Amino acid sequence: MFEPNPPIDLSSGKYLKLWQGPQHPGITGNMSLELITRGDEVVDCKTHVGYLHRGFEKLMERRTFIQNFPVVCRIAVPEPTFNEYLYAAVVEELTGIESPPRAEWIRTLNLELMRLASYLMWLGGIGAAFGQSTVYQWTVTHRDYILDLFEEMTGARIYHMYIVPGGVRGRLPEGFEDRCRDVLNRVEKLLHDVEKVLFNNVVFKTRTKGLGHIPKEMVDPYGITGPNQRAAGFSRDLRKDAPYLVYDQLEFDLITATESDTYARSWVRYLEMHEGIRMLRQCLDRMPQDGPFQAKMPNVLHWEVPAGETYIKAECTRGEYGYYMVTDGSEYLRRVHVRGPSYTHAIALMEKLAVGTNIADIAGLMVSLHTYPPEIER
Amino acid sequence: MSLKDLISPFYVWQRAFEKPYTQKRPIEDRPGAPRYRGFHMNSEECIGCGTCESICQNHAIDMVPVEGLEQRAGDSGLRPRFDYGRCCWCALCVDICTTRSLHLSNHYAWVTEDPDAFHFTAGTDAMPWNQNSLGYRRDDDYHLLVHDRVEMQALSAEESVAGFDEVMRGYTEEEAVLEADRCVECGICVATCPAHMAIPDYIRTVRKGDYEAGLRLLYETNPFSSTCGRICTHRCETVCVMGYQGDPIAIRWLKRAIVDRVPQEKYREILGDEVEENGKTVGVIGAGPGGMSAAYYLRRQGYAVTVYEAQARAGGMLRYGVPSYRLPDNQLDKDLEYIRSLGVEMRFNTQVGRDIPFTQLLDEHDALFLAVGLNQPSALRIAGEEHPRVLSGLRVLDDVASGKDPGVGKRVAVIGGGNVAMDAARVSRRLGAEVDVLYRRRIEDMPADPEEIRESQAEGCTLVPQAIPVEIRNASDSNQVTIVWGEAEMVADDKGGRPRPVLQEDRMHEETYDCIIAAIGQGGQIDFIPAEFRDRIEFKWNKFVPGDYQQTGLEKLFVGGDIANSRADAISAIEDGHHAARGIHRFLSGALDG
Amino acid sequence: MNTVEEILDFAIDREQQAADFYSNLAERVSSAWMKDMLLGFSKEEMRHKGKLKSVKLGDKLLNADQHVQDLKIADYTVDVEPAEDISLQDALIVAMKREKAAYRLYSDMAANIDDPELKSLFLGLAQEEAKHKLYFEVQYDEQIMRDN
Repeated sequence: MFEPNPPIDLSSGKYLKLWQGPQHPGITGNMSLELITRGDEVVDCKTHVGYLHRGFEKLMERRTFIQNFPVVCRIAVPEPTFNEYLYAAVVEELTGIESPPRAEWIRTLNLELMRLASYLMWLGGIGAAFGQSTVYQWTVTHRDYILDLFEEMTGARIYHMYIVPGGVRGRLPEGFEDRCRDVLNRVEKLLHDVEKVLFNNVVFKTRTKGLGHIPKEMVDPYGITGPNQRAAGFSRDLRKDAPYLVYDQLEFDLITATESDTYARSWVRYLEMHEGIRMLRQCLDRMPQDGPFQAKMPNVLHWEVPAGETYIKAECTRGEYGYYMVTDGSEYLRRVHVRGPSYTHAIALMEKLAVGTNIADIAGLMVSLHTYPPEIER
Repeated sequence: MSLKDLISPFYVWQRAFEKPYTQKRPIEDRPGAPRYRGFHMNSEECIGCGTCESICQNHAIDMVPVEGLEQRAGDSGLRPRFDYGRCCWCALCVDICTTRSLHLSNHYAWVTEDPDAFHFTAGTDAMPWNQNSLGYRRDDDYHLLVHDRVEMQALSAEESVAGFDEVMRGYTEEEAVLEADRCVECGICVATCPAHMAIPDYIRTVRKGDYEAGLRLLYETNPFSSTCGRICTHRCETVCVMGYQGDPIAIRWLKRAIVDRVPQEKYREILGDEVEENGKTVGVIGAGPGGMSAAYYLRRQGYAVTVYEAQARAGGMLRYGVPSYRLPDNQLDKDLEYIRSLGVEMRFNTQVGRDIPFTQLLDEHDALFLAVGLNQPSALRIAGEEHPRVLSGLRVLDDVASGKDPGVGKRVAVIGGGNVAMDAARVSRRLGAEVDVLYRRRIEDMPADPEEIRESQAEGCTLVPQAIPVEIRNASDSNQVTIVWGEAEMVADDKGGRPRPVLQEDRMHEETYDCIIAAIGQGGQIDFIPAEFRDRIEFKWNKFVPGDYQQTGLEKLFVGGDIANSRADAISAIEDGHHAARGIHRFLSGALDG
Repeated sequence: MNTVEEILDFAIDREQQAADFYSNLAERVSSAWMKDMLLGFSKEEMRHKGKLKSVKLGDKLLNADQHVQDLKIADYTVDVEPAEDISLQDALIVAMKREKAAYRLYSDMAANIDDPELKSLFLGLAQEEAKHKLYFEVQYDEQIMRDN
């Protein structure tokens, strides 16, 4: 498991080298897999990244602390909110600013809505990868309903730029709670339909069961987190193990499985969507209706953050997402490092899991790891 | 494999007839959410402070001049131009906007053949969304700036009336940093400050705790920083952009915060004391802020400077007109001492015209700077004014400054609403009198500084607005005096000036006081200029009208201060002095022809 | 004075006298700036004279009904002598009192005449003088009573 794949003699004429990506038109695009195949069996895989490198970590060193908050959301396109939250949390920790309780609830609502939207897109992805593109149409439509909610809450559908150091940027719009509940009901109903169409589908079951098995002992050495880890039988979740925001006040169950294959990972995510809806309903019912949503801030134009360093992590859809930041007391940060789960999952793990699979299953396997290439390359 | 797994997927037909959620743009229009971050809009409240430009992380905003924009004070004349090739619609510019003029519309789709159209000046260029009422606005409870001023510790009204101790106690270092932190460094104030001090720069030195650099910056434009840090009329604060949504930056107090932290002994070390003599000599008439400011900058350039002053001490109105609870003597001396230490020669008790003829000065010096100020109190010119219990405000302040008792008695009426009137009233309070202040207009029309008005009220002075004195009579007690005054109605001025009071002859009042202090205004006295020069000097009303660099038609004569500007405050006099010093230097080096 | 022409000539003559008064005073005063100012007053009177001359040629006078603000400053200031050492304050008092006297003169004349055409001419002249007085009162208000 930890040894390199055995060397392959390409000149033997038994093998074919096949590139998948980087122009792959799916959710797995923007990175590429260099596959060595024998027939339609994959015998070796090398992962290549670097096609989407925008240098965010470096860009952030040249911007003031307030100027960075519109930057960070771009690090993970389908899931910007986790970046916004973690950046805010890191700056708040280093400055000693505490965001008020109302903001903490709104942030939690935001993160869970984001998780639901992100999972919906993934759910479509896994369906499409195994020939169920109807599911993709359904889920992306429902994701649009959630993006509508984001649009009215934050002013934008994708790059919300809503969670800022100190709190959030505005109160919830009038009547938002009702519209949000309505969307949750619709998504819940959809999930039941998807269960019938996708998870109880003989084709899906046959193709995904046993595909991309991650042995339990591989999990920690490969830094596997999130649903990929929980599907391998680990009950670990930062929302339970190191609660942040208001997660310690919410009731939700930790979903695990033991089979650790593509089906198990998909099923864990499916059940987590239900847990997410449960948490969102609690947020809507219990969040404070008034009070400040922003801490008292200094003048952000020349905001000097005291010298220090910190690492803050949160559970995103793919696992542990973390921000490490070093400051030197100036108006600019000294160094920031973003730890995204896609990095570990998509590069090292994929090379191992691909060996022995079928070419037709490669896309589905990648989706089952739920990686976002923009987040691999900060 | 179960049978259920074969049949279940056919459930997909259940949703086969659902309508698509996708919009058919551009056939169907879909407006953005009410909070949508679309294209920029800017309203007339914009004053071009450029804070949006500073915060934009993409450099998508340029402040550009706009044609046809009406010039006004506190407006840079620039407006933000947006480059949509760079903008990321984060709306930080909206959040930081000091006047809240900048918004985003909920308009997000715009098609045009002209690529340059995506580079426009919001609010000025005609855009399809300019009338949009929806779009992103900053929430009322969300702030990226600090709107509340750090208040300075002050004596309570009871403590301050008890003596002549300075009322305002100064900022602590921590308070000063907090207040300095609020500044957005837009520089709108610089244009309004008569001396064009480097305000954002010296505020930054407070924030950084670098008071020596701060002092050097102050002295570039103002050698009366300790004084101005206390009693400046702070026009800068009236245009401060932070004033649009909260309190303007306490610019004056921050100037004081710098000076308060540099001991006098270090001035020469920090600012330097070397003067390279250039062999020329300049005479300065009047040792007030204007004269001494000119003396300072001339001396710095190597001129031998002699200052002629009628009084026994330097400072002019700052010493004889401003009471020590606003400006303690030692603070004024701190400023004056450093100027004198550079080798400025002082001739006290020397009144030009009386002790030394004007023509002699003109002959002895290569150039003259005249800043004699306005020291002649205007008379009431109403019947009975010659009553011995009618005093002038300037005389009362002068007496107090010189340590004499002006003998105001127990019940005083002050006539006037300027700073002299307020000071005369507050001084009388400190001398134990009850004080009524009679003023012809409304309290909001008073030319005195708002804080002087506020503090005088706090100290127990009674303000009687819209009261016009018409006659002064003998009272039954010869040590008292009776004033007759009538109520005034305010009428609008046709030509747009301040409203004018009109006496209502049917509403007259009579009141008896121990004394009446008249402080209705001051005029100047320049009869010492011989008639032979008069045709070469231009006057308007009672003021000089100097040309460029404060020069008069009599080439060697430069004028400034209250006698030559309409603002008649210390900072304007200081600037006149500085400006004249530059003018004299150019004149004497042949760069300025008469 | 029975014709419009005669009345206007009388008024024109009065303005000339006033102009002469100020220019004579300007020659006598000792202060440099007072001279300029008094010459300015004199010019102002000459301007009034010019206005009346153009009335003679057909221009309209101020309508007698038009309201001219009376600040009543001239009413309560003491009389001052136009001496050589006259100050700006006193010069303004002299000026506004002179205009006030002229206003009174024309008002009285209007009261004592029955011919409606001549009556309205006198009232018009009175209004002109009231306007001149207002000018000096406003200057007094602005320049002298800055703080009051």
